[in-house]
Amino acid sequence: MSVLTERRPLGDNAKAWALNAPAIVVISLLVAYPIGYSFYVSMQRNNLKRPRAKRFIGLDNYKALLSDDAFLSALKVSALFVLVVLGMTVVLALLLALVLNERFRGRGLLLSLALLPWAMPGVVNGLMWRTIFDAKTGALNGLLTQLGLIDSYQAWLTSGTGAFLFTALAQVWNTLPFSVIILLAGLSTIPSELYDAATVDRAGAFRRFTQVTIPWLLHPLLIVLILETMNAFRAFDTIYVLTGGGPGDATTTIALLDVQTVLTFTDFGLGSAYAWVITAITLLISVGYIGLLYRKGNFEV
Amino acid sequence: MELNRRQVLKLAGLGVTATAVPGVLAACSNGSGGGAGDGSVKFEGWDYEATLVQQNLDNFTKTSNVKVNYTPITSAQYVQKVVAEFTGGGGPDALYVYDDSLAAWVEGEYLQPIDGLPGVDDVYAAIFPGNAEAMTYQGKRYGLPYYTDSNCLIYNADILAKAGFSKPPASLEELEAQAVKIKSMGLLEYPIGLPAQLSDTWWAWVWGLVYSSGGDMFDDQQAPIMNTTDTVTKDVLTWLQNAANKSKVLDPASLQLLPVPVDNAMKANRYAFTIGARYALRDYNDPQKSKAAGKMKMALVPSLDGKVHGTISNTRMYGLAKDTEVKDDAFKLLTYLGGFDASKQPYTAKFWFQQRGLGFAYKELAKDPEIVAALKKFADPAIYAQLAEIARPRNVLGVAWYTEFETEMHKVVQGVLSNQTQPSAAVASLAQTAGTLKKKYS
Repeated sequence: MSVLTERRPLGDNAKAWALNAPAIVVISLLVAYPIGYSFYVSMQRNNLKRPRAKRFIGLDNYKALLSDDAFLSALKVSALFVLVVLGMTVVLALLLALVLNERFRGRGLLLSLALLPWAMPGVVNGLMWRTIFDAKTGALNGLLTQLGLIDSYQAWLTSGTGAFLFTALAQVWNTLPFSVIILLAGLSTIPSELYDAATVDRAGAFRRFTQVTIPWLLHPLLIVLILETMNAFRAFDTIYVLTGGGPGDATTTIALLDVQTVLTFTDFGLGSAYAWVITAITLLISVGYIGLLYRKGNFEV
Repeated sequence: MELNRRQVLKLAGLGVTATAVPGVLAACSNGSGGGAGDGSVKFEGWDYEATLVQQNLDNFTKTSNVKVNYTPITSAQYVQKVVAEFTGGGGPDALYVYDDSLAAWVEGEYLQPIDGLPGVDDVYAAIFPGNAEAMTYQGKRYGLPYYTDSNCLIYNADILAKAGFSKPPASLEELEAQAVKIKSMGLLEYPIGLPAQLSDTWWAWVWGLVYSSGGDMFDDQQAPIMNTTDTVTKDVLTWLQNAANKSKVLDPASLQLLPVPVDNAMKANRYAFTIGARYALRDYNDPQKSKAAGKMKMALVPSLDGKVHGTISNTRMYGLAKDTEVKDDAFKLLTYLGGFDASKQPYTAKFWFQQRGLGFAYKELAKDPEIVAALKKFADPAIYAQLAEIARPRNVLGVAWYTEFETEMHKVVQGVLSNQTQPSAAVASLAQTAGTLKKKYS
C-alpha cells in the first residue's frame, strides 16, 4: 500500500517518450536500420556471386564511382531527365492549376480526369505508353497517320533522343496530377481582394500573375520542385517497362542502373553506394531549393 | 521514477533486440539449414507450367514415397529470390538452375557437385556434349538436364515461295538478298525481325549468329578475342548494321521489341525471318495460336560463308543444394526429373517434350518414334536433330561477370543497329568491357 502511495506519476517528458516509443521502435526497425545498414553495405565489397570475396573496403566503392563510366553516364542522363521532367511538370501543372482554379461548367469532371493518371502505378503507366508508342499498332502512329502528319508508322523509341523525350513525357503524365493538386491548393488560398486591388491599380493579367500569383505560390512550388525532383531522380518503373534503359544508354538513369546492379548483378556493395549517391544528390538539391525559394515566399500557405 | 530519453531508448532497444529481431530474422529465412524441415524435399523452380510440374511431382511421390514440397517462383524474379533464400539460410534442397547462373551459384556455395552419385555418369554419356559442358563447372558436374534448346533460323515458307524462293538462305548474304526481294515485291516492308529491346534475358540470336559462322567472342581462358584474332563478331555486326540501315530489311522497331511481340509478329505473318529457339515453332505452327500455322519452318542459322559451323544452345538443369539435409531423397527427385527411370528411359525429359515441346538433352530421344511423330507436327526432325548436334553453350558462362558482359553487349548491339556505333568500335568496346570486368572481379 505504501509502495502505491509513494509511486510518483511519470513526468511529461517520460510520458511523451513512452507514448512515442512504439513508433520510434517501428521506425527504427523499418526505416533507420535498413538505411544505416545500406550505408554499411555500401562500404563493403559485397557481391552475392562471390561471398568469399566479401570484405570491408571503406569508401572504395564511392571512390570507384569517379571513374565508373556507367555511373557517370547514368548520372548525366538522370540530370537531364530531371531537368526535362521538372520543366515540363512545373509549366504544365501551373497551367492546369490556373485553369482548374477558374469556375466553369465541367470543372469537376476535368479535375477528376486530370487526377486519374496519378492513380496509375508506374509499371502500368509504362505498359500503357509502350502500347501507345508501339511501332506496329501504336495509337500515336494511328493518330498521326490519320491526321496525315506521317506517311508510315514510326518506331518512336528506337532513337536515343526520341526514347528519352517520350520516356520523360510518360513520366510527366504519371506525376503531373500531384503537382496540380499542390498548386491548386496554393491558388485557392490567394485572397481575391489582392486581385481586385491589383486590377484597381490597372495591373494587367500578366502583372497580376507575376506580382500576386507567383509570390503566393512560392511555397507550394517549393514542395512541387522538391518532390518532383526526387521522383524524377528515382524514376525507374516507367523507364524500365518502356525502354529498359535503351537504346544503348540513352535512358539508363541512375535509379535503373542501381536496380540492375543490385538485382541483376547482385552487387549489393556498389548498388548501395549508388543508392546513397542518389540520396545525397536529392538532399543537396532539396536544400538548394529551400535556400533559394523558402525565404522569398511572402505568405504562408 | 522519471525516465529520461536515454533510458527510454535503452529499454526500447533492449526490447527490440530481445523480441523483435529473432522474429524478423526468422521471417526472412526458413530455418538455418534450409529445406522444408519436415523430412520432405523442398523443391523450387521458375513458374513455367507449375500445374504440370506438380502433376509430375505427384507421380514421383506416388512411386517413390518421397514427399516433395514444391514452390514455383515468378520467372522474372527467380534468380534474385533463390539468391536471397540461400543468403538468408533457407534455400531449397533441389532446384532449377540456369546455365548462366551455375558458376555464380557454385561460387556462392549454394550447390554441390553430383559426381559419383548413382547414374550420373550414364546421364552425362547419353546427352549432347554441349549440354554436358553447360552443366559442368571447373571439372565438376552440378546438374541433370531439365530442358535445352538451340537457336535456328525461323522462316515463313509461304512468303519465301511468293518471292520465288524454294529453300531458306544458307548464308547471311543470301538472307539479305531474299529479304531485299521480299521487300521490293511489296510483300513486307521489313522482312526480318529480332527482339532487341534491352531486357534481363540473354540475346541468343547474337551468339547464334556468331557461332553459326564459326566465330567466338572469347577464347578458352575467357579472354576476349572479338577485337583481335576472331573477326567473326565484327563481320556479323557489320552485316546487322547494313541490314538495318542500308538494305533496310531488318525492322528498326526491333529495338523496341521483346521476344513475345516478335513471336506475335511471326504468327501474324508480319515477318518472314527471325532467329529464335526451336521450340518456338510449336506455337508458330499451332492453328489455335497462329495465323501462320503450317507455313513456319526451321533452318540452320545462316553463316557468313554459307557453311555449317554451329549454333548456340542453352541448358536448364536440376541442381542439388550444398546444405541439403535430405540429400538422398533430393537426389532421387533429381534422377526422376533429369535422369533415367527404372526402364532406362529419360521419363521426365520425354514428358516435357510431349506436353510442351521442350527440347531434350538426350541423344537417343531424337530417334524415339513417339518423339519423331510429335516433332513432325511442327518441325523437320532432321534439322531439329542437326541443330542439337552442332549446338554449343556460351564458353563464357564460367565467369562471375558474364551477366554484366551480356547486359553491356545488348547496349553495344543496339548502338550498331541504330547506326550510332560502328562495328569496329563495337568490338573494341566489348573487349574493353570484358577486360574491365575481368579486372574488377579478379
